[in-house]
Amino acid sequence: MDKSLSFMNAVVLSIAGLGWQPMAAADETCMSPYMAKIVGQEDYVYVWTLGQEAVGDEQDKLVTIDVHPKSQSYGQVVHTLSVSGRNEAHHGGFTDDRMHFWAGGLDNSKIFIFDVHSDPGKPKLTKTIEDFVAKSGGVVGPHTFYALPGRMLITGLSNNKDHGGRTAMVEYTNDGDYVATYWIPSDADFQGAKKSGNYADGYGYDVRALPRRNMMVSSSFTGWTNYMMDFGKLLKDPEAMKRFGNTVVLWNLHARQPRKILDVPGAPLELRCAWGANHNYCFTSTALTAKIWLIHEDASGDWQAQAVADIGDPAKVPLPVDISLSSEDDVLWVDSFMDGMTRLYDVSDPFHPKLRYQKRIGKQLNMVSQSWDGKRLYFTSSLLANWDKKGEDNEQFFKAYAWDGMELSERFAIDFTAEKLGRPHIMRFGARALYAQAPASDATRIAVTSP
Amino acid sequence: MKALRAIFIAALAVAINSGWAGEPNNADFGFPAPGTYALPPLRGAADGAVLTSEGGATTLHRVFSGKIVVLSFIYTECGDARGCPLASAVLAQLWRRVDEDPALAQKVRLISLSFDPAHDTPAVMRGYGQRFVREGADWQFLTAASEAALQPMLNGYRQTRQRAYDSNGMSTGTYSHLLRVFLIDEHRIIRNIYSADFLDPALLVYDIITLARHG
Repeated sequence: MDKSLSFMNAVVLSIAGLGWQPMAAADETCMSPYMAKIVGQEDYVYVWTLGQEAVGDEQDKLVTIDVHPKSQSYGQVVHTLSVSGRNEAHHGGFTDDRMHFWAGGLDNSKIFIFDVHSDPGKPKLTKTIEDFVAKSGGVVGPHTFYALPGRMLITGLSNNKDHGGRTAMVEYTNDGDYVATYWIPSDADFQGAKKSGNYADGYGYDVRALPRRNMMVSSSFTGWTNYMMDFGKLLKDPEAMKRFGNTVVLWNLHARQPRKILDVPGAPLELRCAWGANHNYCFTSTALTAKIWLIHEDASGDWQAQAVADIGDPAKVPLPVDISLSSEDDVLWVDSFMDGMTRLYDVSDPFHPKLRYQKRIGKQLNMVSQSWDGKRLYFTSSLLANWDKKGEDNEQFFKAYAWDGMELSERFAIDFTAEKLGRPHIMRFGARALYAQAPASDATRIAVTSP
Repeated sequence: MKALRAIFIAALAVAINSGWAGEPNNADFGFPAPGTYALPPLRGAADGAVLTSEGGATTLHRVFSGKIVVLSFIYTECGDARGCPLASAVLAQLWRRVDEDPALAQKVRLISLSFDPAHDTPAVMRGYGQRFVREGADWQFLTAASEAALQPMLNGYRQTRQRAYDSNGMSTGTYSHLLRVFLIDEHRIIRNIYSADFLDPALLVYDIITLARHG
């Protein structure tokens, strides 16, 4: 270790000696650290969109939006690609080489693989995985697609035995071949992990890794029966409301083995890990209890969880959903679904987040993605087909904003209902320079490895 | 002209500087002991026509020679002046660790394969290798006779490589590429893939021991 550290330092010093300055500097900020990053202006935002009855072709689709201000088609949908039927399109992610975008259907567990490199403005569907449940040994609801070197780690939300929240993470090669299944530890089988509190529910949702600490962290939501249920009906079903995740699990990244189960009650959803060299922590937010939680490494190298802030008025159940951490780990954007608000927290002291700004984006709000420099933010509206609001409150939009450090200013908006597209969900960025189809200028800069 | 190279090196430096802090000291999150974890088969390791650093024509599979192979794609221009490539330096560190166990060393072969055949002739690869290889190290420095010979191997290993262009559309002579190193077992099956964040000699040697002793 010492020898290799010495070597690393030598390389860094030799590069520093060449006069290189670190890049200032993040949904570029929530990507796998193994992936090439767009650290300048993105060209496209890909929006994985749920099909909606009586809206357009009613099918799930990948929508490509031109977001380059100098482009003639800036602010317009430049391409749509429908896949077969409605699959409860939800999340997706790039492979580590950023050549393909994988996107999942939470209902039927189909996985769609799109080529985004041949023509970044016109993705192509190259493969559909239809046997995810059988290959994985019964995992249902592919959610997060997290890039590992040459592989994709996919979190499940459910299982095919009881369609509850017990689930696993599943590893595939970038070619789309099944590798292994890692079940989330539960009271039925701790799998070597330590239960540190009251819960060991075995539920899953998101996953992130801190390779420098050989740590991987997973969060927990609810199973197929709940996420496919009408939201109003769900809220009135006390038994169903008990079936939400209350845990975060810490894993040994290299071994893919669970080590510790932490209590984080109230459905901890998105996980975002810090980028800084000594920032050994990750954030999550709990949907039902409306709190920001910090998952942090302590002095002994062990990991702990701590609630560090309320989001809005938890008694009003704002239902926080997506979060986005800046590339410099100084601010955290938090979207909440019920009140349609985005809130900005100063997290420069991660143990004491301070609310700095808030703005209502729409009648319902889900995802937020920011550029690496934090100057551009994009929002979408849909949560789940059966959880979205009804009637006039069912606004479906993609909105682009500029952030100047003080105020969000809307740049353009696309009405996904009027445009007959559907319910927009996760967003990922594209750039032609990633594939040497445009020069990597100051306008579009690419970082080949992780900051 | 040097923009992309500077970006690449800058990114690499940041990765090393901030993303790599050594093995965690907590037992739960340290690198797992050899044999306590699985390295599931990923896919077969592709073959291809290569040239040895002596100019001899052979195939990649013949060079594997039934050993546990650590295969790294590199190009020498990437490393000449800048202290790169990271992969070659880590492989040098790796060999020192492997060499501490002569029985293990006999089972291991390191291979650096150029993806820039026009520049990296066998002689260039020989010179490049001399900067890294210690006496007795089983480390082959290979290239291909042509782009046509190389391409099936790039495809086979899904190694991306894009020629870098400056803002005037002129080639910079460099490549933008995702650093990848492959661990291949005696049966020519890829068992792990590493990128910059995982290129730790301690981790690599644990994986090699896991394959050598536990299959």
